[in-house]
Amino acid sequence: MLEKEELKLTRECLQMALEAGASKARASLSKNEMSIVATLDSEVDKVSGCLDRSISLNLYVDGRYGTFSTNKLDRESLRAFIGKAVGTTRMLAEDPARDLPDPARTAKDAKDGKELGICDPAWESVTPEQRIAFALGNAISAYDKKWKIVSQEGEYSDSQYHNYVVDTQGTEVLHSETSFEFFTELTIEDNRGHKYSGGWWEASPLLKDFHPEKVGPAALEEAVMQIGPKRCPSGKYRAVIDSEVSQKVLNPILNALNAFSIQQKNSFLTDSLGKQIFPAGLDIMDIPRTPGEACGKMFDSEGVASSNHYIIKDGVVQEYFVNTYMANKLGIPPTIEDAIRPYIPPLNMPGGRNELMQLCQDGILITDFCGGNSNPATGDFSYAIQGYRFKDGKIVHPVREMLITGNIVKLWGQIIAAGNDARRCRAKLTPTLAFDNVDFSG
Amino acid sequence: MKTKDEYLNLFGVSSAQLRTLVAEGMKNGGDWCDLFFEDTSYSELVLRDGEVSSGGSHIDYGCGVRVLKGEKTGYAYAESTDIAALMTAARNASVIASAAGSGHGSAGKPYISKVSGRQDFYPMKEDWRQSEASRFVPVLQKLEAAIRAKDSSVHKVIAALSWQVSDILMYNSLGETTADTRPVGSLTTTVIFIRGGRTEMNNASKSFRAGVEIMSDSLVEELAEAVTSGMDERFEARRPKGGKMPVVMAAGASGILLHEAMGHAFEADFNRKGQSIFSDKMGCRVAAEGINIIDDATIPGNRGSINVDDEGIAGQKTYMVEDGILRSYLHDRISASFYGVAPTGNGRRESFRYNPIPRMRCTYMESGRDGSCEDLIASVRKGIFVDQFSNGEVKIGEGDFTFYVKSGRLIENGRLTMPVKDINIVGNGPKALADIVAVASDLKIDNSTWTCGKEQSALVSCGIPSVLVKSLTVGGE
Repeated sequence: MLEKEELKLTRECLQMALEAGASKARASLSKNEMSIVATLDSEVDKVSGCLDRSISLNLYVDGRYGTFSTNKLDRESLRAFIGKAVGTTRMLAEDPARDLPDPARTAKDAKDGKELGICDPAWESVTPEQRIAFALGNAISAYDKKWKIVSQEGEYSDSQYHNYVVDTQGTEVLHSETSFEFFTELTIEDNRGHKYSGGWWEASPLLKDFHPEKVGPAALEEAVMQIGPKRCPSGKYRAVIDSEVSQKVLNPILNALNAFSIQQKNSFLTDSLGKQIFPAGLDIMDIPRTPGEACGKMFDSEGVASSNHYIIKDGVVQEYFVNTYMANKLGIPPTIEDAIRPYIPPLNMPGGRNELMQLCQDGILITDFCGGNSNPATGDFSYAIQGYRFKDGKIVHPVREMLITGNIVKLWGQIIAAGNDARRCRAKLTPTLAFDNVDFSG
Repeated sequence: MKTKDEYLNLFGVSSAQLRTLVAEGMKNGGDWCDLFFEDTSYSELVLRDGEVSSGGSHIDYGCGVRVLKGEKTGYAYAESTDIAALMTAARNASVIASAAGSGHGSAGKPYISKVSGRQDFYPMKEDWRQSEASRFVPVLQKLEAAIRAKDSSVHKVIAALSWQVSDILMYNSLGETTADTRPVGSLTTTVIFIRGGRTEMNNASKSFRAGVEIMSDSLVEELAEAVTSGMDERFEARRPKGGKMPVVMAAGASGILLHEAMGHAFEADFNRKGQSIFSDKMGCRVAAEGINIIDDATIPGNRGSINVDDEGIAGQKTYMVEDGILRSYLHDRISASFYGVAPTGNGRRESFRYNPIPRMRCTYMESGRDGSCEDLIASVRKGIFVDQFSNGEVKIGEGDFTFYVKSGRLIENGRLTMPVKDINIVGNGPKALADIVAVASDLKIDNSTWTCGKEQSALVSCGIPSVLVKSLTVGGE
């Protein structure tokens, strides 16, 4: 938990900055306590415990702006660091667009950090023995005449994170969250000596909702399903992108909506605000204030209040992500600096990947992306994929060494359906997605 | 370089306290303990919209304590060097001794360094920490001016200069004390070009382990040239038709192929765990005769160089593949103990917050004897030439890799023709290595800001001569 002394010290940093010559300042304390137990082949391989604390400072000095951070948190070191930081900021060019956010826009309801209900008091009572039991208890052992497990790595971790932000205009906000996570990666070898790996991950902010027992079987299933890959002829296929990886085709949109990309002319969504860029019926939302859900937050790094709202509604672009700096620079109203917990609601299909494969009947299911890039200025992309050929709605064989290419706006223009299977443990709530006429090569 | 006493004073600890801390770490039966003290200062200046109007500095300070029981690791750290905080960290790390089984052996065997004397691959003539940030503002202004002078279609320039210096002190249960001061200075730029309503973006960077003296007009000019060259072709470039075809990789940055597709699979932790596709290939032929692949910590001023690794082992040059035969994995102390070989100085960590694991340094292939890059191109009837890569990824178990090609050209009847962009090359590491059929004599080390992200960040670099791979999958229309 955060100590009163830590909160006090953070507030004192503002006073130190003003005394050193800053006209305005923001201080942000981050504190993270984490324990890790890693396993290798059903034995404990590593135990680790850590406590990280650092204070970040945004300083506004004579119309100039600098960012600084330190983890030397004794008062003497902090005072010396801040004094030097103010001096460094004075050496930079003036930038009148730099300012703290309008106090009316900052969160007033993030007082004790627990408002979203994602800081589990049960975290305080987890013992080292329980951590080892979580890590070891979820290893699996399996053998099949067609394959064997070569290695199995697991990692259990839990953490408690706090972020306390104050500024010289009276902003004071606090966020606290806990996390319980378990990850497994398996490598199997088939009877021809070929290796295949599979991984799975579960996480929850609340211990009662944490289900590490799902992880091992899911990782094993992923590895085994990859045995016997075949090539597919290059061509246009229907693509079903699993919810585990579908954020890959959402990220370029979110990046392109950032005002910094717009200002730098490095966005394929320049001049798209209020326009029908995407198909009717497609919604993309930001829902950071849903209680009890992982990765929610009531404010951004400036302390600006978040809200549940539409980013894209019925295919029409509703907002750019505009922080105070970019608002002043571009002369447009500020919003929030980024999507905190983006969410794609179901479209045409209340189901998961099996239902979407049934809907599409014939195509390629993408379960992993392995490298690639999207051009931020044009939206053209090329990604390597791993997945499965499916026919009549059912998987027939794995595919490897294939790529998809296209343009992000055109791809979303070909959306067939969005499922309802977004994984709650992820920051980006993207379900399984289905697209028509996607270029595959291999 | 500082003396041992100067490093001890810097962290406010005595030799006696180091011994006490290690004894605390070993008290539950651990068979190895080491301490890793770090004081890192990082600063940056950014030019955007014609002004150097943002910048800052960051301090990271603390000490990591590692205890090993066989191959099992206990790790804890403190963000202070207060002795009470360090004793707590040592106690927490010692827990591994009671939690772990017996394991295969101990990393705590004495290791006699093959390197005699104290080596310094990055003497810092002028320390970044002693320089005012204002001194570097003109560097960024010159860079923007040089970029705009070279190409009238430049619309936006972002340029950044960052520098970092880390003082490191290590002590272990063999009583060995090792210290190092590691500088790195990086100059980077991202440029937006607009021609006829079309937009293209390019970026370039240079990074060296060196002091302030590395900042020169010639470096600025070199970077400006790198970020503006080839833009005519970039605006003309199209996606080619995809498929399997021969690929000529240009010397330099194509070395990322070695890093991603082969180097990771040579890291001994993946092999110790049986995960690597090269796990059972030691002593076997993995490439054609004459091919040598090296991981090198000893190139003066190179971003991947280290005087000592983060376990106190001397930085060295390691031949992984010699004349086509797999000769060595890349080892930290744990894997070296497991395999019964000497550590290769590849035990590296992102910071005091992390335990060391086998990591690459500067990975490259030596020059071959098959002529020039032009000779390789001339030997291809239909294929592709690639000269700029990014975003490489590899699946260690399967050996499958992917690289994003920023720029290149088609090869038709031995000549370079249509410029290509926005494509990927995919393949399988061992197969691609075996499929290298010609190596030119033009080895080039690429000095861009390469950072490897295997579990932790590590500064690396790469290089390669021009090579011809007889068949890879190229993604296209």
